[in-house]
Amino acid sequence: MEERKDAAYFKKLAEQLMFRLTDEEAEWIKKEFDTLMDQLHLLDAVDTEDTEEMIWPFEDETTFMREDTVTHVISQDDALANVTTKIEGHFALPKVVMKDD
Amino acid sequence: MIKEMREDRANAEKNVREAFEKAQALQDKLNAVVTFADIDAQLAALPEDGLLRGVPIALKDLVSTKGLRTTAESNILWNYIPVFDAHIVDKLRDAGAVVIAKTNMDELAMGGTNLSAYSGPTHNPYDLTRMTGGSSGGSAALVAAGAVPMAIGSDTGDSVRKPAAFCGIVGVKPTYGRISRYGILPYASSLDHVGYFTRSIEDACVTLQVLAGRDDRDMTSSFLEVPDYLKELDSDMHGRKIAVLGNVVKNLKNPATIKVFNDLMDALRERGAQVDMYDFDEDLMKAILPAYYLIANCEATSNHSNLDGIRFGNVVKGETMEELMKNTRTNGFGPLIKKRFVIGSYGLFEENQERLFRKAQKVRRKVVAAMKECLKEYDAIMAPASDNPAPHLDDSSADELSANYLIVENYMAMGNFSGYPSMTVPMGFDGDMPLGLNMTCRPFEETTMFDFGKAIEEITGYKDMKAEVK
Repeated sequence: MEERKDAAYFKKLAEQLMFRLTDEEAEWIKKEFDTLMDQLHLLDAVDTEDTEEMIWPFEDETTFMREDTVTHVISQDDALANVTTKIEGHFALPKVVMKDD
Repeated sequence: MIKEMREDRANAEKNVREAFEKAQALQDKLNAVVTFADIDAQLAALPEDGLLRGVPIALKDLVSTKGLRTTAESNILWNYIPVFDAHIVDKLRDAGAVVIAKTNMDELAMGGTNLSAYSGPTHNPYDLTRMTGGSSGGSAALVAAGAVPMAIGSDTGDSVRKPAAFCGIVGVKPTYGRISRYGILPYASSLDHVGYFTRSIEDACVTLQVLAGRDDRDMTSSFLEVPDYLKELDSDMHGRKIAVLGNVVKNLKNPATIKVFNDLMDALRERGAQVDMYDFDEDLMKAILPAYYLIANCEATSNHSNLDGIRFGNVVKGETMEELMKNTRTNGFGPLIKKRFVIGSYGLFEENQERLFRKAQKVRRKVVAAMKECLKEYDAIMAPASDNPAPHLDDSSADELSANYLIVENYMAMGNFSGYPSMTVPMGFDGDMPLGLNMTCRPFEETTMFDFGKAIEEITGYKDMKAEVK
């Protein structure tokens, strides 16, 4: 089904997901992935020809256009309460252009 | 327990303080709590009435609590303090419940052992060398140890029902949409359910009465009316039909589990129930775990992309935004979470989506179709919740390709695939360790599920059973 992957493959994939793996973590994931691939072969034993994907348990609509009224408001202070670096009512990120300014 | 506590109005404060002190006294042994709550303010604000008035409860640490730290047992959220309450917190407080603690869990609810918690594992109250199961292990431990009569968990694969089995208590996962998930940190949105633990079926009825109902802030929340579960409770088994899940039973290895389960089925027959063996397609049953693993991890990878330390969370600074995010996420997630994100991302790659993610979603539909067919004829599907009692904390002996592991230890995810109500109840013991039975019923038929649970409780006598923590 799938070719086996090496540890470097998983390190690269992790970088795309915005975190890094240690050598040890990458090797461990490689080993676990091999077992997972064996488990995924079990999906092939099920004939899903003419079967639609199931996205949610129930396919009845429970959403609707609500009245355009203000509810459940939080203040700007609350919205920023968990921000580590904030400046004048905004959350702040490291400056990436004209860094010396 | 809940009724007695509610009616003991004069001692409401004493009962809550005793629960709080008991949970604190057990902390060194169980490690069930992440954060203890301020009970004084809640006691001062107790409503005059309510189904849970004066009842001490605990919340899994992924339930948003305004002003009270909510970590999901992940380093990345270790300093996170929500600025709003989850819908169920509003409901519980309106009903008079007092939150005494936020409980330990697998990191971001992604696990079945409670071993991946950032603060370390919860220990099983029946044997401190064993695990509680997960991911809602801390809540299960506090209920089993008798600290609180009810605690909230969440269930994406079996995260309430498996710890309930390992800790000898009732674990309820109601129908998808029955309880609002607004304010619950997500894992996999198409599979996530709010669930809970109690030590009796009556308490399970009262709790669902409080928690169930429509909430416009959860787009999957049901409009269906909430029945009076306690009033409708009826343990008469005449005319009830039970399908015993043959695929699970024939793959059991533990003689104690086989005997306890068979004896219980005989007892249900004696009370008038029709009990038949019912086999699902074996290949379909073996495909449940890989399908679950793919769907859950693909959804989790997407859901948790907002954990970057910028708007909230335990940030690790960097020279650039990318470096800040990478530093934060590298430092913030444990190895198991990283593994799951990597696998989830792999399943979502364009070249893999059809043969992996979409294939898993198709398998899901076939599993649910088989369950629906079975429940046309039968009122409940039953099987042991696990072959063995709670494993030891260092146990890594599972053969992950055996039918025993693939089916017996992981079939309960079918309740999440379908969204059908599912519950684990204590059914007996293997030595000193409890064993659980799982049942699944038709959607929104929690009343039927509680009827079966009550009949089993009457047979076993396991009502308000507590572990003596040594």
